[in-house]
Amino acid sequence: MPLLHFATISLLLGALLCIAVPGNRRRAAIGIASQVIATLLVLGAVIPVLGHQPAIVAQLTWSYPVDLILLRIDGLGALFLAFSMPLTLLGAVYAHGYLQPYFQSDRNIGVHYALLNLVSLSYLIIYSVENAMVFLLGWEIAALAAWLLVIWDYRNQKVRFAGFNYLVSTHLGLLFLVTAFLVLFSQTHSFDFSQFGVFLRNPGTTRNVTFLLLVASFGLKSAFFPMHTWLPRAHAAAPAHVSALMSGVIHKAGLYGLLRFTLLMATPDEWMGWFLIAFALLSAVTGVMYTAVQRDLKRLLGYSSTENVGIACLGFGIGYLGLSWHNPVLVVLGFAGGLLHILHHAVFKCLLFYAAGAVYSATHSVDIERLGGLARRMPQTAVAFLLGGIAIAALPPLNGFVSEFLLYSAMFEDSVLGGQNRGLLVLAATVLAFVGAVSAFSMTRAFGLTFLGTPRDPQVHEAHDPVLAMRSAFYVLGALLFVFGLIPQVGLALVAAPVGQFIALTHRGLDVAHVLAVPLALLMPVVAVSAVVLLLVGALAALRHWAMPAAAPAHRTWGCGYTEPLPRAQYTGASFSGHLASYYKTLLPTKLDRHMPQGPFPAEAHLRTHTVDAVEDRMFEVLDTGEATLALLAERAPQTPRIAFALGLVVLVATVALVLASAGGRL
Amino acid sequence: MKLASLLMHLLGLFLLPFLLPGVINRVKAWWGGRRGAPFLQPLWDTRRLLGKQPVYSTVTTVVFRLAPLVVLATTLVAALLAPMLPGGGLLPFPNDFVAFAYVLGLGRMFLTLAALDTGSPFEGMGAAREATFSVFAEPALFLVLGTLALGSGHGTFAELMRPHGWQAFLVTPLCVLALFLLLQIECARLPVDDPTTHLELTMIHEVMILDHSGPDLAMMQYAAALKLTLYAGVLAGLLNPIPLETQPVLAALVSLVLMLATAVAVGLLESLLARLRMRLIPQFGIAIAVIGFVALVLATTQPELG
Repeated sequence: MPLLHFATISLLLGALLCIAVPGNRRRAAIGIASQVIATLLVLGAVIPVLGHQPAIVAQLTWSYPVDLILLRIDGLGALFLAFSMPLTLLGAVYAHGYLQPYFQSDRNIGVHYALLNLVSLSYLIIYSVENAMVFLLGWEIAALAAWLLVIWDYRNQKVRFAGFNYLVSTHLGLLFLVTAFLVLFSQTHSFDFSQFGVFLRNPGTTRNVTFLLLVASFGLKSAFFPMHTWLPRAHAAAPAHVSALMSGVIHKAGLYGLLRFTLLMATPDEWMGWFLIAFALLSAVTGVMYTAVQRDLKRLLGYSSTENVGIACLGFGIGYLGLSWHNPVLVVLGFAGGLLHILHHAVFKCLLFYAAGAVYSATHSVDIERLGGLARRMPQTAVAFLLGGIAIAALPPLNGFVSEFLLYSAMFEDSVLGGQNRGLLVLAATVLAFVGAVSAFSMTRAFGLTFLGTPRDPQVHEAHDPVLAMRSAFYVLGALLFVFGLIPQVGLALVAAPVGQFIALTHRGLDVAHVLAVPLALLMPVVAVSAVVLLLVGALAALRHWAMPAAAPAHRTWGCGYTEPLPRAQYTGASFSGHLASYYKTLLPTKLDRHMPQGPFPAEAHLRTHTVDAVEDRMFEVLDTGEATLALLAERAPQTPRIAFALGLVVLVATVALVLASAGGRL
Repeated sequence: MKLASLLMHLLGLFLLPFLLPGVINRVKAWWGGRRGAPFLQPLWDTRRLLGKQPVYSTVTTVVFRLAPLVVLATTLVAALLAPMLPGGGLLPFPNDFVAFAYVLGLGRMFLTLAALDTGSPFEGMGAAREATFSVFAEPALFLVLGTLALGSGHGTFAELMRPHGWQAFLVTPLCVLALFLLLQIECARLPVDDPTTHLELTMIHEVMILDHSGPDLAMMQYAAALKLTLYAGVLAGLLNPIPLETQPVLAALVSLVLMLATAVAVGLLESLLARLRMRLIPQFGIAIAVIGFVALVLATTQPELG
């Protein structure tokens, strides 16, 4: 526990110092140094918990109305801390390169680093407290810090609107959470999670309502469909490392909340499992469909978070079924697959966002339709994006395949009883296959159009690979893709302790080694296959090199009869996905603005396509004004950051007041 | 016994990808009233290509040079996973059919990326089509394989070939039909893709490999033929009634005949059918998924499973 105290002090002191000291370079250094210290301390504390050590337990006293704060870092909290802290540190290092242009300006970089420290602090709170009030506090710190990080480029109206949208949405989610806690408080007269657990163990209508409220709130935090509308805007607006951290790390708190309350519920009802599976698949499908049509790389990656939290939650839904059917194999495979996917997603999503950020800082654009041919000029960024794309499409030999394979194994598990149940799980597997195929489609499109071919727009700046601070993130995360993809023991060792907690709920005491045995036995042949693919590619390459030592002649791409191929005639993002989008018009409404050429001497003609978010579009269509409302709102959104900040404070104060009022009612 | 099965598998892997396209072409030639090329013409074509020097477009990057290697490697690994004889996968492990589909998916990704790498609008069109149609084919494949897994109660690809229970006589033919239609999409045969077309605008697979030449083209073509062989092998495995354990030679011969029969069926279809309009191909994929779904519903109503 003292390690965690020191980590907190390091983070807070670092935050203070990096605002106070002069010089942006020094501020960044202090920010990173405090993150390094905190990360090392936290890892030192939690890694034993991930092994065989018991949970870290402590008590803190605080003033009214909380009084006593119970702290408990068990396997689940330890896992989330163990990946959140280092990845945030990596983000801080990346930021050093990404924010380089601002170092010479009069902006205080220290504020940015202080906010990153606060984000890390929020993990320490959320993943350790056993008290609903303090949990909300951590929740709010994370939300506000993330919001302020998003609006880094606050002089841009669009960025302010995206930030405001995020702020409102995240507080809508908070309302659900507060309501759920109030329901629980009314039943237990306590804010302690352990007391909540005593109540939540008993099935009944109140528990069902609470479960739905919690799912709504945690779902909004993790951007599940249809509560995702804030996400693509926020991810497109934020600096790349903030998008990466929000998508890969910060918003995993929603899934953590779901798992924490699963542990409290002990044995969920069967309908909850099916509900979660349906909810998860809906998110996965819609999220991935949106990735297929985006022209903004970062928006695309944002939507893919909706997809991937869906995939992780699918595992939890399967785990729920296992808990309610008392099927330990299903529990292990479902929760291990889901938790591994969270971990893997954090790695490859950060890598993809960092690569997209490198593209942005080199070309000042993330518009797929304007880019092209970047692989020649930014080879390292291209490799990073390609690896991330292969991993996120769950293709071997990288880590995404490992976690999805566990989920498939769970869905094809033959110990499941009942033909209907097995049939439904096979259907769920079919949907996951669809998600995988669309994901491969989107990543092919995103990588192929951005990095391959020839540059589409001569206006785009001359690009080059980013500075070392940014590239270091590529190296670390790229290596992790292979480690998790080829050595499943590493990932399984990390998730063994939390999976053990879920196994304990089935009242079958299994030690960590046994928990690992089932998924490990399933994964070993799979990673062997991955390794064979890699070796075979290497062997074939060597063979070709040996057979053809001479340099091959080069020539222009064959133009199928056209002698002057134009870069602008290349396939575009819209044309690549046009056929697919036309099959899903309800979900992917495409707005056309066209003026077709007419007559024998056509005057100028144009065609603009824009695929909008169906939920957002419909939301405003309900108000009978459609796009107009959205445009109006965007204009009216707070003109100055100060008003936005004030509004944020009002929401915060109102929420806190609500919580205090509910607490006061009892005391 | 094990060794014999292994040898047969490897021999099949090497020879059949040359023989099956040859059979298809011969059938089409006969139907069209021509004599046709020798059965092993694809083998001579491959030898000719291997002797040539490739030409690389100045636009392309290392992705383009890597793609034939990845496509061939992934298809070879998939061939080790797929059962070409009833009950005989080379490396069986639980849920290996998932690995089969995803390993092939990696190859497809590189195939489409190489097409985009050339910067040619025609190849981009082919890549977009391939990626789009796979979105419809992939779920159908999982539906069929999942149904077979349910019907057989086992989780390795080789064991999937043996659905049992009272409704196996319905489930198996439906799955065979679905897999045969999937072969048309996955292996770019009519009515989905016309491998002999000469207009780039109407191609899918051939237009993606326009810029590959020499050994690279040979690898791409061999991998495509091998994929066709794998699908034919799975179909043969499903239809083959002879158990491998007791009569390995007979089982292998029956499988071989069934695979050749599949090639003949593909050739006959190509002689009789016109290519579907591109817009209809997703519906073709959805139709396969519907067949798979019917099979799944039949398989889950099995009373013994409950």
